[in-house]
Amino acid sequence: MIILYLTSGLFLGWSLGANDASHIFGSAVGSKMISFRTAAVIASVFFILGAVIQGSGTSNTLSKLGAVNAIGGSFTVALAAAITIYMMTKFSLPISTTQAIVGAIIGWNIFTGNPTHSATLTKIVAAWIAGPVIGAVFAIILYILLKRFKKSAKIHLIKFESYIKTGLLIVGAFGAYSLGANNIANVMGVFIPAFHLQDLNLGIFTLSSTQQILLLGGLAVAAGILTYSWKVMETIGSNIMELSSDAALIVVLAQSLVLFIFSSTGLSDLFVRAGLPPIPMVPVSSSQVIVGCILGIGLYKGARNINFKVLRDIGLAWVVSPVVSGLLTFFLLFFMKNIFNMNVGTKITGAAGNPLLMNDILMQDQSDVSGIIRYILLGLFVFGTIALLLYFLLESKKRKEMQRSEEKFWKNLK
Amino acid sequence: MAVFTRTTKNLILKIDEFIDNVDIGLLVFKEGIKAFLDKDMDAFHRHLQKVDLLENSADKLQREIENEMITHSVLPQQRAEVSNLIDELDEIIDSIKSSLNEFDIEMPDIPVSLNNNFISLTETSVSAAEELIPAARAYFKEPYTVREKLLKVYYYESEADKIASNTKKIIFQEMKELDLAHKAHLRYIIHHVEVISDLAQKAADLLSGMAIKILM
Repeated sequence: MIILYLTSGLFLGWSLGANDASHIFGSAVGSKMISFRTAAVIASVFFILGAVIQGSGTSNTLSKLGAVNAIGGSFTVALAAAITIYMMTKFSLPISTTQAIVGAIIGWNIFTGNPTHSATLTKIVAAWIAGPVIGAVFAIILYILLKRFKKSAKIHLIKFESYIKTGLLIVGAFGAYSLGANNIANVMGVFIPAFHLQDLNLGIFTLSSTQQILLLGGLAVAAGILTYSWKVMETIGSNIMELSSDAALIVVLAQSLVLFIFSSTGLSDLFVRAGLPPIPMVPVSSSQVIVGCILGIGLYKGARNINFKVLRDIGLAWVVSPVVSGLLTFFLLFFMKNIFNMNVGTKITGAAGNPLLMNDILMQDQSDVSGIIRYILLGLFVFGTIALLLYFLLESKKRKEMQRSEEKFWKNLK
Repeated sequence: MAVFTRTTKNLILKIDEFIDNVDIGLLVFKEGIKAFLDKDMDAFHRHLQKVDLLENSADKLQREIENEMITHSVLPQQRAEVSNLIDELDEIIDSIKSSLNEFDIEMPDIPVSLNNNFISLTETSVSAAEELIPAARAYFKEPYTVREKLLKVYYYESEADKIASNTKKIIFQEMKELDLAHKAHLRYIIHHVEVISDLAQKAADLLSGMAIKILM
């Protein structure tokens, strides 16, 4: 039963994996620098790591915006966000998972009579605007540095490309980690206040309740990356702008840095210790940040034809996505509560903590989730090992066949 | 990572070796023509054999370079152009081989009074191709210097054209003692020497575009 409630979040995760995660390796795969297989495996593994290790920072911010305190409410909020994304994509309207989920949470706040924390909302909106701008600035600075290094180092083009290829893998891994840390809140953030799972001891480390929820979301995202992102990755390079391999590296690095900055509690603490204001832990839209980075490089290169439609789309997404998602959440919550008699959450009273109102049956079910996660992890480990062995076997066979055909060619020519 | 490094090093070495072959081929061609004009046929045949070996090695290297670039997905964005450049350079060494073969098979009777014209034409035509070599190497390391290096290619190509025209004028307008078949044969041989600078210019055009693209 409890897994059923999670399906809307898992679906949201799948769509995040299929679309947003593609931005990280999109240019590299589109330009054939890295194969889709390699990109998908690296993106999946590092997204999950980022989500589990560092994903709680941005999730806490979303919880502050609105602590959805019933599983039925979390389900409806995630469902409304997912439907909004589906509908707006269908009608080719600009959309961002981040903005859809924030709108849905505000919709829940309005429906349950909870106040929306205005300071948190301001922080989130400021981060949405700052994300693409910082991305553009980072991209310009990093691109200038790379160009200067390339000119002074006089590295052979092929060697330079191989460095770029290695760089793309490392930066891509960092990007996937940062995306996991920053964007997992969009997928699972609304479920965290409503779930209290037992700690899961895996021998080497223990996963807390929050980490288990984030892990499930991470797995859904990984499924989205592995099953559907190839289509987006194949076309993304040419869709936004034709990027050279070094520009692609800079775009991914700049985007990763922005996502990392907005999700690293450690970095924020360092800022505070240095007497600077803390960095807000806010989920930002990866697609909007990447557009900011690409526009930054375009501006530096003196591109005359900057596509202002892209900028207009971003601005439109900031307004339209939360509004549509918020309205849809409000109506869905109304139906869930009055027609299906579902507990979608109540007004939070008292200053200390959130008195979570859980259904008794659901509380019992929650202990089973840890067991399911344990089996999923075991299955993934076995499947991963077999897949890895099979991959190396097939690769070695392919290489031998190629060598044999080449030898045969030269032998026949003689 | 080790696979990347090994492939990269191998490929760089192969491209360098390929360009070396073309470079040496040009030198051997020049010496071969001089030996032919001096009627030193032993030296000429030695040079012809050398060019044959260089051309075969260049062909093999060309295939290996293209195979490795495809299988290891090297330079995905510039691969087609780099392959074209290697093709154009291969055309030059192919043309060197076929020219020397024409000299060997047809044994053109070049009047001694035209020796200097033929030597000058060979040297200028070969110089155009020789100036292409540093530009082709620069594309991989210092692409911003390619275009200035290519200026000399265009200069020598136009000089080769002038020398070829002058020599043809001398043959057809001043050398009344030669019959028409002899004149036509000499014109054909001149074309064989001159074509090297034309091929160098064609490769230079391609390289020039490639350099602009990579700097964008």
